[in-house]
Amino acid sequence: MIAFDFEYCKPSSAAEAVETFNMFREQGKNAMYFSGGTEIITFARVNKLRADAVIDIKGIPECNVLELSGNLLVIGAAVSLNKITDSKLFPLLGQTVKKIADHTSRNKITIGGNMKSELIYKESVLPLLLVDAKVKIAKGSEEEIASLDAVFNKKMKLNSGNVLLQIIIDTSYIDLPYMSLKRTKISKVGYPVVSVAAIVKDNRIRIAFSGVCDYPFRSAEIEMIVNDSSLPENERVEKVLAHLPSEIVDDIQASRKYRAFVLRNVLLDTLSELERVT
Amino acid sequence: MTNKIWTTVGKPEQRIDAVEKSTGKVRYVGDYSVPGLMHAKLVKSTQAHAMITSIDTTEAWKMPGVRAIVTGEIFPFHIGPILADRPPLAFEKVRYYGEPVAIVVADHEHQAKLATEKVKVEYELLPVVNSVQQAFQSDAPLVHENAEHYTKIISDVYPKAGTNIGSHIKIRKGDFEAAWATSEETITASYSFNLSDHVALETRSVRVEINPAGKVIVHTCSQSPYTIKKVLNQFFNIEVGNILVHIPMVGGAFGGKGTIQLEPLAYLASKAVGGKLVKLEFDREEDMTTAPCRIGLDATVQLGVTKEGKLVAGKYTYHIDSGAYSDQAAGITRAAALDCTGPYNIPNVWCDSYCMYTNHPFATSFRGYGHPELTFAVERTMDQLAKQLNIDPIQLRIINGIKPGDTSPTQTVLTANNIGDVEKCVNRAKELIRWDEGQRIDSGKNKVRAKGISLFWKTSTTATNAQAGAILTFEADGSVNLNCAAIELGQGTKTILAQILAEKLGMEMNKIHVTMEVNTQYDPHQWRTVASSSTFLAGRAVISAAENALAQLKKTASIVLQCSAEDLDVGGGRVYLKSDPTFGVEMKDISLGYTYPSGHSIEGQIVGVGKHIQRHLTPMDQQTGFGKPGPWWSVGVQAVEVELNTRDFTYTILKGVTVLDGGTIINPMTATQQMRGGMHMGLSYATSEKFIFDEQGVIQNAGLRNYPMLRYWEQPAEYLVEFIESPAADGPYGARGIGEYGVIGAPACLASSLSVAAGVELNYLPLTPEFIWKTKKVNNQ
Repeated sequence: MIAFDFEYCKPSSAAEAVETFNMFREQGKNAMYFSGGTEIITFARVNKLRADAVIDIKGIPECNVLELSGNLLVIGAAVSLNKITDSKLFPLLGQTVKKIADHTSRNKITIGGNMKSELIYKESVLPLLLVDAKVKIAKGSEEEIASLDAVFNKKMKLNSGNVLLQIIIDTSYIDLPYMSLKRTKISKVGYPVVSVAAIVKDNRIRIAFSGVCDYPFRSAEIEMIVNDSSLPENERVEKVLAHLPSEIVDDIQASRKYRAFVLRNVLLDTLSELERVT
Repeated sequence: MTNKIWTTVGKPEQRIDAVEKSTGKVRYVGDYSVPGLMHAKLVKSTQAHAMITSIDTTEAWKMPGVRAIVTGEIFPFHIGPILADRPPLAFEKVRYYGEPVAIVVADHEHQAKLATEKVKVEYELLPVVNSVQQAFQSDAPLVHENAEHYTKIISDVYPKAGTNIGSHIKIRKGDFEAAWATSEETITASYSFNLSDHVALETRSVRVEINPAGKVIVHTCSQSPYTIKKVLNQFFNIEVGNILVHIPMVGGAFGGKGTIQLEPLAYLASKAVGGKLVKLEFDREEDMTTAPCRIGLDATVQLGVTKEGKLVAGKYTYHIDSGAYSDQAAGITRAAALDCTGPYNIPNVWCDSYCMYTNHPFATSFRGYGHPELTFAVERTMDQLAKQLNIDPIQLRIINGIKPGDTSPTQTVLTANNIGDVEKCVNRAKELIRWDEGQRIDSGKNKVRAKGISLFWKTSTTATNAQAGAILTFEADGSVNLNCAAIELGQGTKTILAQILAEKLGMEMNKIHVTMEVNTQYDPHQWRTVASSSTFLAGRAVISAAENALAQLKKTASIVLQCSAEDLDVGGGRVYLKSDPTFGVEMKDISLGYTYPSGHSIEGQIVGVGKHIQRHLTPMDQQTGFGKPGPWWSVGVQAVEVELNTRDFTYTILKGVTVLDGGTIINPMTATQQMRGGMHMGLSYATSEKFIFDEQGVIQNAGLRNYPMLRYWEQPAEYLVEFIESPAADGPYGARGIGEYGVIGAPACLASSLSVAAGVELNYLPLTPEFIWKTKKVNNQ
């Protein structure tokens, strides 16, 4: 059980949410935006997280949108992972988020919550990094659309009080050839030892990683190597391993050396599959 | 055996708790709440081994709702089921991460939980004993300084002064040294695996109050209601008749609810608030680390054999990681010794089984009671020996399979009644897994299919005076109430007992009403619901109670029908003349006594009383192990077929096979499901489960976020289960115990199949792809 008392609010607009957040801040209270709530609940019950108030964004209409609008796919931050998968609107995203947690949890976990997760994985970000997604953010009474690249560096960098409202994707990316691979310690359900999403755009492979380093990433340098057809595949894979943005994770899910082994196989599988379409 | 066609025994009757459970209406202990109920929460050790230098409760007392804070000084004594070595609340020092250090009692659960964070405990760290290897070294830090002075509750336990040895059980049969020296071939192999957990669906929970008359009323989820009475009497000096234990249905136990941990804590908590009703419920994380878990094991097996594959010598060294306290690990140490060989006839046996203290959470019984662990070591060695001898692994097992006329490691003579048929089980399992198609088959690019097999046996090491009783009362409609203290913990025991009773009384199942709750005040004494013993002990007690009731029914009927009782039979809800079944009396007309048209009444109600106690069991000799520790051995064979990806070492379990000789099978459907569930549990343990400790002895995966278990859809697509039914003459309708057996061989046969597939010997658990990869890598260097 969660032992501490906290206030719960469910505003009906983005502006009201931000206003509520600021009100708590002025009162000296630590407030948190609340979407699916899985992480807040599970961390709070083991005393790893504490809040004076939570502001539920599921009452904000924009956060619940899941629709094609012209040449844009708009996904509200409070849309559950299962809804995204079931909608089949963006197969790569649907497949990637389907590998997060278990089915019951995915009824609750939302895409915004997963992007803002305190864990190192945030796998729903991988496809979004590949398709140059944009995000709509509420800042005070204003709303701003920014590229995900600009606000995501290892984790979502939102200023305190700002709310992630929507993810916006250009539909021209949706039907590109793609791949989504995840390897875990043993079960299909579990944190990634290695998780990879990749697409082919203009005959170039784009690839993003989770579980490898202690944050999800897409790297221009790695994509240069991956697309360097002058090198045989296994040499490219070794070069990628030598150019990771930081040391490979070594934890109870997998040792560093084993992760490298798994990453090699995953990269080879991804290359051989996607090279057929480049 | 009779030639009678049984009407209920042997039939797949529906479980009598199926409707309540499938509609979610069963109330477990934790589901009750009443006004005025107080809540206890534990302050737990953040260190694995340390002196407690101070406990400051000042800030905690300032928290709202706090009514009492209890620390170890209140009860500075040791309790335990075999060796009394554990203070219920840590006193002076802590010996494992998660150990209870203080109890906070408050009006509401959240208040108690908040206040526990305000209790400040200061520690002076001690060197941590983090493995059995380390514990066994002569200069190892001591987990218990004076273990030799602890009180022995059961005779077969031998703590050794100045060491971390909590007990040492020896088997000395024949002359191992001479046989080993003259063996034509030998093999020595070692195995290791860490502690793990039961993870029953229902986390442990208890309510205790001390009423103004001094009665201690306990509501709990336990496999041992009478042991709770014993412990509270023995260590807390409460008159045994003043302790009332209630147990509703239990949501899974697997041995983990056999030991007594929460009840004394809740008793101390209730006492601290003037006897008010106090509830103590463990969170999943507490249930995994604070509550007792499953043993770890380091094992070395040495086998000596003739060129033809006949085993002549076996030496077994088991170092059991019992964690901080010996609890049931001391009993498992004994069980692992007395069945150390597996179901093989070996004339010269030497076994040293050690119960080792470490600074890990303490271990208790787990379904199989050490047998899945010893079977892993024995069966993996048999597989490697077969390879060395170039004999088919199944042939090697058949050559050495134990038979009536052979003796067990403790020199019990085996008979056709006390042991099942090993060879029949092997031959059937061999057919079911299609062994003759080949043990290893390439099945595609980077894909290999392989099979592994494991034999197993187990006896139930109950107390030598283990017993059960049953009471039958009758309703006015002739139906019967069955009261018996066997606990329903999902294994289906109440259904089995009802079937036995229905059979004996010649009645339909729907005329039997079984009391699901156990209440020690009106249920007759039963040892415990552990060790696969309830069908045997309680089943015999039910038969005896039924015979008692039948005699009374016949007596009343003989008066009514004006004949002798010997002329009568009972069945179909009537008592009737054997020679003319149409002449009889309805049971409903005599179950509460018979009333004549005149109003005169005779005999009164039928109350059937029955009991059964183990006979001829003995403790084991300290020097040789000689003794008769259990009533019978059930034997069986398990096999799996896996498909391994030889490139990344991921694998799928395609098929699982269990063939068990459990004597007569009372209910083939529940027995089949029990084997499937057991095998699933064994495969989960083998593929996924273990506690991971850091260098300070702190568990890194103390919750289901990071403690993987086999999921429902990850089990084999096919679980084939068959029974060989060699009846046990003294079992109820020829039945032996089967509850634990499905789990025993699964880890070994999985490891053997993967070893064959991967081409390396896999002798550690769990069998993760990373472990296979690592073993391959080491092997290639």
